[in-house]
Amino acid sequence: MTLLIGATTIGLILALLALGVYLSYRIFNFPDITADGSITLGAAVASILLVHHWSPMAATLIGFLAGAAAGMLTGLLHTKFKINALLSGILVMTALYSVNLHVMGKSNIPLLNESTLANQAESLAGSFLGGGKSEFLLAGWTVGSRDAAMLVGATLMVLAVGLALYLFFRTNLGTAMRATGDNSQMICALGVSVDFIIILGLALSNGLIALSGALLAQYQGFVDVQMGIGMVVWGLASVIIGEALVGTNKIGLLITGAVMGSVLFRLLVAIALRWGLNPNDLKLITAVFVFAALVMPAVLRKLRPAAKPTAT
Amino acid sequence: MLELHNLIKTFNPGTPNEVRALRGVTLTLERGSFLIIIGTNGSGKSTLLNAVAGTFLVDSGRIRLADQDITRQPEHRRARLIGRVFQNPFSGTAPSMSIAENLALAARRGQPRGLGWALNHKLRQQIRDRIRSLNMGLEDRIDNAIGSLSGGQRQALTLLMASWLKPDLLLLDEHTAALDPKSADQVIRLTHEIIQRDKLTTLMVTHSMQQAVHLGDRIVMMHRGQVLHDLRGAERERVRPEDLLNRFDAVRRREQLDAGVAELLRQNYI
Repeated sequence: MTLLIGATTIGLILALLALGVYLSYRIFNFPDITADGSITLGAAVASILLVHHWSPMAATLIGFLAGAAAGMLTGLLHTKFKINALLSGILVMTALYSVNLHVMGKSNIPLLNESTLANQAESLAGSFLGGGKSEFLLAGWTVGSRDAAMLVGATLMVLAVGLALYLFFRTNLGTAMRATGDNSQMICALGVSVDFIIILGLALSNGLIALSGALLAQYQGFVDVQMGIGMVVWGLASVIIGEALVGTNKIGLLITGAVMGSVLFRLLVAIALRWGLNPNDLKLITAVFVFAALVMPAVLRKLRPAAKPTAT
Repeated sequence: MLELHNLIKTFNPGTPNEVRALRGVTLTLERGSFLIIIGTNGSGKSTLLNAVAGTFLVDSGRIRLADQDITRQPEHRRARLIGRVFQNPFSGTAPSMSIAENLALAARRGQPRGLGWALNHKLRQQIRDRIRSLNMGLEDRIDNAIGSLSGGQRQALTLLMASWLKPDLLLLDEHTAALDPKSADQVIRLTHEIIQRDKLTTLMVTHSMQQAVHLGDRIVMMHRGQVLHDLRGAERERVRPEDLLNRFDAVRRREQLDAGVAELLRQNYI
């Protein structure tokens, strides 16, 4: 049970990463590798502030802003200096590795003795349950109150962010952003600066990803400079699973799908590890999985020759 | 209203692919006039439209619209003055977004976009009313994705979007060339209605001599990046499709003659 709750919680925290990747990759069709660096940046900035006894809320928020700044930089490289999208991301990601080391001062910071959002959620849950019990019974299962508090906290966070994103996409600015990815020629003719929107979108995307990192660091109790490696692919896997789950292009459902995809993916990974999957193979398997998910639709279409002509 | 002064544009200068697309185009359009541009392929007519729209900046010359110098303004800044319909029906709309959302985007053409709701009840009602006037039965489908519509329907909607906020200048770039004849007729009728109703200053590029003769109040024929003929007033009234075709033939004959003469000169003197 602890395993499942833990996996779900991490899945929810990484759902913010998935939403960030969804934004850059699906809305803009911009394969933004900055994510690998910005998730660590968010974690590093939040952690170092926590070590200096900042309030966890403020530290997390500044982590978000740091990620947004990184995204903005990628956007600037791409739009103002006309650097290929993939390469802009790679440049910023590479630079961030050094930046992260500078921010952290060393390659690993433990947060076990600091006041974090995780501790706050835990103590809140303790006072809520009364008597500071460390575990309780739920439908016959023994559940650690720390685990439960994390799960509830992560759920609320993801709900809030998902809802905010959904509402944002229905505003004037948000619809302009979606249209930019859909048809940049059209939105330019309607008076929107495509460059500005891409910079803004990447800032938002990387802000969310950094937020995910900041929360992840607080949940697991440490930050490591290597934690971001392969995170883009994690996010992509979540987005792709999500799309398969909801199977529509309605924006609200796609956001829900990305969250569900992230949780499901984490659960699958947890179960696979429990069954004896070598953790070293995890990234390889993730990459193969994303590859399969990307080519599968085309392969399926070929196998099913013109069963019914799809209306476009 | 619209003043183009000696516009020059060369693509890929100094390379084997050099194209002198505009070679000094000067044109003045009065408010409310409807100018049709015709010309052979590569004559620079679409380039001229794109230069006005700001797709690229001209090498030299001046563009003034609605008493402002817009020569150096980027495309999205000019959009507050200009409504546009493209040749490709896919270019004018965002396919994965709904009809209502597309029109809501157009309803804020050139205005700042903040965090207000893109759609509200009043705007939805307006959108439904205007779409009903198209007589395409789309008014009950405004929440469907535009990608599911036909080219003709999209072009009609793009026209509606371009003219939602009365633009100071409407640019139509062969906007019926990619449509089947029936849809093309429908879109042309709609174009005529909207331009008449709102008295829009319009610049339209077309390949169709029929459209050139039946629409608009002035015809400009372009050739090799320059204005060759400028028909207006009584001359414009008298012109028939055959006359335009004859003028094209004349151009073509002169071209061939030029090539022949050049060859002759080369043989004799080099």
